[in-house]
Amino acid sequence: MDTYPFMLVLENIHKFYDRLEVLKGISMEVRKGEMVTFVGPSGCGKTTLLRIIGGFTSLDSGEVILDGQRIDHLPPNLRDTRICFQNYALFPHMTVAENISYGLKIKKWKKNRIQERIEELLKLVKLEGLGGRMIDKLSGGQQQRVALARALSLEPKVLLLDEPLSNLDANLRLTMRGEIRKLQDRLKITTIFVTHDQFEAMSISDRIVVMKEGVIQQVGSPIEIYERPNNEFIASFVGYVNFLDGRIEKVDIGLHRAIASTPIGEIQFIPERTNINVGDSVKLVIRPETINISGSEPLTGNNTFQGEVEIGMYVGSLAKYTVMIKGEKFIIDQPNPRETFFKPREKVYLSIPENIHLLIKTETPQ
Amino acid sequence: MAKAESYSVPESTFWERLKTFVNAELINIFAALLFLLLAIFLLYPILAVLIKSVKDPQGLTLGYYLKFFTKGYYFRSLQNTLLLGFINTIISLVVGFCLAYLTTRGPIILRKPLKIVSMMPLIAPPYLFAISLIILFGRNGILTKAFGFNWSIYGFTGVVIAQTLAFIPLAYLMIENTLMSLNPNLEESAYDLGASEGRIIRTITIPLLTPGILKAGLLVFVMTIAEFGNAAILGGRTPFLAPDTYTMIIGEADFEMGSVLSVILIIPCIIIFFLHNYLLTGKKFTTIGGKPVASEPRKMTLLVKVPFLVIGFAAVFAILISFGVVLMASFTKILGVKNEIVFSHILNFDSNRAIYNSIQVSLIAAFIGAIIGTLLAYVIVRGKFFGRNFIEMLSLSGFALPGTVIGIGYLLAFNTPPFKLTGGIMILALNCVFRFLAVGVEAGISKLHQINIEIEEASADLGANFMTTFYKIILPIMFPAFIAGFIYTFMTAIVSLSAVVFLVSPGFELAAVKIFDAAVYGEIGVASATTMKLVAIVIFCMMILNYLTKKTGFDISQKKGAI
Repeated sequence: MDTYPFMLVLENIHKFYDRLEVLKGISMEVRKGEMVTFVGPSGCGKTTLLRIIGGFTSLDSGEVILDGQRIDHLPPNLRDTRICFQNYALFPHMTVAENISYGLKIKKWKKNRIQERIEELLKLVKLEGLGGRMIDKLSGGQQQRVALARALSLEPKVLLLDEPLSNLDANLRLTMRGEIRKLQDRLKITTIFVTHDQFEAMSISDRIVVMKEGVIQQVGSPIEIYERPNNEFIASFVGYVNFLDGRIEKVDIGLHRAIASTPIGEIQFIPERTNINVGDSVKLVIRPETINISGSEPLTGNNTFQGEVEIGMYVGSLAKYTVMIKGEKFIIDQPNPRETFFKPREKVYLSIPENIHLLIKTETPQ
Repeated sequence: MAKAESYSVPESTFWERLKTFVNAELINIFAALLFLLLAIFLLYPILAVLIKSVKDPQGLTLGYYLKFFTKGYYFRSLQNTLLLGFINTIISLVVGFCLAYLTTRGPIILRKPLKIVSMMPLIAPPYLFAISLIILFGRNGILTKAFGFNWSIYGFTGVVIAQTLAFIPLAYLMIENTLMSLNPNLEESAYDLGASEGRIIRTITIPLLTPGILKAGLLVFVMTIAEFGNAAILGGRTPFLAPDTYTMIIGEADFEMGSVLSVILIIPCIIIFFLHNYLLTGKKFTTIGGKPVASEPRKMTLLVKVPFLVIGFAAVFAILISFGVVLMASFTKILGVKNEIVFSHILNFDSNRAIYNSIQVSLIAAFIGAIIGTLLAYVIVRGKFFGRNFIEMLSLSGFALPGTVIGIGYLLAFNTPPFKLTGGIMILALNCVFRFLAVGVEAGISKLHQINIEIEEASADLGANFMTTFYKIILPIMFPAFIAGFIYTFMTAIVSLSAVVFLVSPGFELAAVKIFDAAVYGEIGVASATTMKLVAIVIFCMMILNYLTKKTGFDISQKKGAI
């Protein structure tokens, strides 16, 4: 095993466009063979960061360290990173094979070695026999594969993928997502993936970097990001959330229980952190799929509230409800609804689970 | 049966039926009228030239053509013209590419100034460069005297230099346009895969630009061989087709040989017009969509930067010098000989009267041209009649036809009844209308393509008949295109020389013709001053256009007709 575990280190990167600061001190490490995704709404700086790593955009301060060596002063052609652009940027006047071998020819590979490598790459991306095709005779998915093969041709230390799936239709996107992940697993190539699609990020990555307005909000595995978001932005970015303002009324460390008062009544929960105190203002993060909905009052369990269905939508695998409890709106996803489906104005009972993620409010509300 | 009677249509009067007919058929009626106009003022003059070239008192003959190909002088004129076109195209493309590359990929501080100077020749009539070359290298030229040159600017080289400078903007703009639309990720990908800048240009940029460069080349070629002024003023004893036609007709009154020369000149123009419009359209390397990222300027390598800058700056320097000396000559007694500041050239009575006449003719031409252009655009885009493509081709063809040919055509066609127009102001105006129709028509077509036909259908749905829709919906929407057509026709008409030089009558001189005469007779001061006044008028028009573009948000720039 290599003693130095990081393939790529970003050190306090700042970038300005005119006077607008688009990256505000980005620092993070990417391990060897890891698949990391930069995700965030448009304008968060994720693509700029990727272009800085690739060498297409200069940084104003900070360091980019690739495999132990500083590379931020080098032009793209002298860096051991290869990018795959969102629009693939395949050379339209060349064949598939010419595209793939463009970099190999520049590196002055021998003719027969180039030929071997082309075959190898075509096989890798499942395009055997299509080497002679012109680019515009390929489907979107095939073009995507060519772009991938071209970026992989020189065996880069880091592969950069800039929203590579955004030009594909929904089904193909799912397939390619799986294939990219499989390929990355097999080649053990360190990969940075940029996307604005949080589900894509969750399903493909080892770790996710959530960015907003030039700042890293949280770095973590998909599970960490989903289950234990650092703040409201991340919580709602990775899926719909019911937020409930509350105040801690009671903390019982021994029993591992706490109670918070909320606009709909008291809620009992298992605190996942120990640093909460009575009197803290908090936000309860309640995911729609964790709430149980039923027509009659459950016999056991705490945190049961009566409400009225406002809107019900039946989508087969799922029923989606908007339920009002004392003026508060709750979104509920009821998986596998079978024959039960509640209609507007029907009375229902909601059970809120006890393992709730809490956000501590920093500022005290008036 | 009795029930059916209550549904029967009430008796309509003749007028009501006529109104219904007109409303339903209005677009076709317009089309027919417009076609008639195009036939009379574009097709008929060209046919007249064609017929003149094969007709002698005994009947049809190819004798004149035989004379053309057997007499060395005529044939040499064809050779010279084609050679001129070829050399000019190559130089313009090389210079245009260097400038376009610098203004899109080069150092940021150079981009704007280089772009402005590259486009400067657009505001001047092309023959400005012939005049500036005479001032610099003529028999009494500043540089001729300063360095004691004993070579003459009159001849092939002089024409090549003047033409190149005049047509740099055309090549530059078209290449710049394609360079800008090139997805920056393509060059970046090549860079990412290890390519150097020189290699990127050679293997990616130029191959991808080929269709655009080819188009630009064809256009420059046609414009160059058809251009009259520079070759006529600087050609000296070197024969070229366009000025030779003038000598044939005006000097020797040999209409038959003049027509033959015209037909010979028209052939490459028509071939290229078709190549340009039908073969190359849509011939563009498609790149897959996705939002184009604003690429950050990368440093140009010296190996590329130095030669590009040398070529670019040489061109820019030559353009600036040309404008400079013509401006100076306007206020100097005889620049280089008697360097006294005088205002007599600027105040020259003949010159000012010619300018006044030119404004008059150009205003009439612009007004008629804009109306016909707008209507034609509508008919071409929305009409569904047979021959629509032919009308479109015809209305755009004036642009491709050499001015000298149309000039001779008008002379032949409108010299006798039923269309006796020669000697009047109308023949000058109409000539400009139909030569420069393409600009107005294209502006109208592009405007109409932005408008969804459903707007018109909505109007009809709300009860409007075609006339109401036309006045209330179509005309207001097309108004910016109308204005664009008006100003462009005015601008191109006022500097145009090649056709009107055949049509002016003594006592009613136009500015362009005045400049030509003055340049030929060596009155450089008056020629320069008149040219500068035209430049001022064109700048004024451009400012109005600019203002309107900003105000209406409709981009009416980037269109340039023939001169």
